[in-house]
Amino acid sequence: MAGYVDLGKIVIEKQENLMKRTGFVYDERFLLHQTGAYHPETSERLKAIHKGLENSGIIEKLTRVEAARANQRWIETVHNIRYILRFDEACISGFNEFEHPDNAICRDSFDTAFLAVGGVLKAIDAVMKGEVDNAFCAVRPPGHHAEVDKPMGFCYFNNVAIGARYLQKEYGVERVGIIDFDVHHGNGTQHIFDNDPTVFYYSIHEHPSFAYPGTGREFEVGIGEGEGYTVNSPVLPGRGDDEYKRLIMQDLVPAFKKFNPEFILLSAGFDAHESDMMSGTNLSTEGYDFISEVIMNLANRCANGRIVSVLEGGYNLDILPLLVENHIRFLADLK
Amino acid sequence: MFVSERMSKDLITAGPDMTIYEAKMIMTEKGIRHLPIIDSVGKLLGIVTDRDVRDAMPSTLLKKVDYDITLAKIMNFPVRDIMTKNPLTIYAYYTIQDTLLMMQKKKVGALPVVDQEGYLKGILSTRDLLRSFVNVLNIDEPGCLLCIIVKEKQGQMKRIVDIITEEKISLGSVLVARVWDKEKRAIFPYLLTNNVINVKKKLLENGFELIDPMQWYLDQLPQKA
Repeated sequence: MAGYVDLGKIVIEKQENLMKRTGFVYDERFLLHQTGAYHPETSERLKAIHKGLENSGIIEKLTRVEAARANQRWIETVHNIRYILRFDEACISGFNEFEHPDNAICRDSFDTAFLAVGGVLKAIDAVMKGEVDNAFCAVRPPGHHAEVDKPMGFCYFNNVAIGARYLQKEYGVERVGIIDFDVHHGNGTQHIFDNDPTVFYYSIHEHPSFAYPGTGREFEVGIGEGEGYTVNSPVLPGRGDDEYKRLIMQDLVPAFKKFNPEFILLSAGFDAHESDMMSGTNLSTEGYDFISEVIMNLANRCANGRIVSVLEGGYNLDILPLLVENHIRFLADLK
Repeated sequence: MFVSERMSKDLITAGPDMTIYEAKMIMTEKGIRHLPIIDSVGKLLGIVTDRDVRDAMPSTLLKKVDYDITLAKIMNFPVRDIMTKNPLTIYAYYTIQDTLLMMQKKKVGALPVVDQEGYLKGILSTRDLLRSFVNVLNIDEPGCLLCIIVKEKQGQMKRIVDIITEEKISLGSVLVARVWDKEKRAIFPYLLTNNVINVKKKLLENGFELIDPMQWYLDQLPQKA
């Protein structure tokens, strides 16, 4: 009879622990990357996110993970050393843009970009060491457009790509799955892993004939050994929840079940929302919930629940905090 | 845009006495569909297309034995027997627009480029044309497409370009659909930036109507009853 009692205890304990331990990376130094008065990728984005999480009380339930400057050797696993030096020099020289007017910089941008990468690596450490189950990184500058030797679309270092290489080299993780739901295609991430069958890149984004950066068509499926390890789901402008649901169930879910990643990294962009002027897609707040929910189910099934979610875009300051909060609620099993 | 800038100059050619079989092999190996035939000094005599070659080959429906017998009969015929003599040609100073209209009207897939004396200088195929369109549309560079509806009156384009210029945005290309709605046109600027929020706001403030390019397309589809 004692067995029954124990069983009951276990069940009860499990219910109490149902909430996941979710790490949260945020650092006021991320605000130091200043893009000028007229740029959408502003430090106000992070301030709004942080304030939103404070006001809702969610932040109390998260485990703070401290960011630390990344060791340059991890950045070099993705980026060309000359590119890193060019970026440093542009910042030191006091230039206000780096190789394209989109990429606004200030003197602190270089260090902030190092810290953003470091934040993601610390979040990965926390998950791999079992200190948390998953984590959200409210970092900037964003990363998914950054190519091996080129800044693009507000991105300098590819935070998520470096995270994937770090997981493989530092922790011996063999298969990393990246899901990119920013409204723009993550050209940088795709190109970095084009030939690589150990990193699966899935992206859902506004159709490249209409939206930046003009890549991410259905026929881009990886190259050589990496063929079949890239999947793109373009969404035509004007389309919203139904199309997202259809494509995610049709393209993402079966591919990830088959690939069976050991760890999932997210390029979490909140600019596909109907109220974000950056894009023409009409994803609703509930549509974003659907994405988060499917990803959580996938992670629980394949990757032992291990997710590190990294902020990319999302420019409407009125809706961004709510979307991030909802996303974190799914990560923390509070929804 | 002139033909001289867009034509293929790295030419694969044949003499009139090359056998049909050899010509077929070269075209398959090099992945080309048009083989210019030149004389010993390099003057254009004719052109052989992959369809000319296929028409000359034995039917693949034949049994292998019959196929081989027929092939043996025809494989040594020279290409002069199947080439199009005096083909349509263009000059290097023609424009791409000339060529586009010509290809559309005459239904050819490639045009040999010759000089005044008839020497072969290059060839311009539909593939070269496609490449030049990707290039003028600038769609191999990162950017976003806007769709702006304007009233049919003068000076609208200037106002749009001014707004884009004020935002310090580079223009990749601009397409204009003249027939859109009654008294309206649609203008599609391709902007080489990710940063479209401010320019969209300014266009709206200046009274322009922005639409989703897809919306128009969807409106054209047959509606369910």
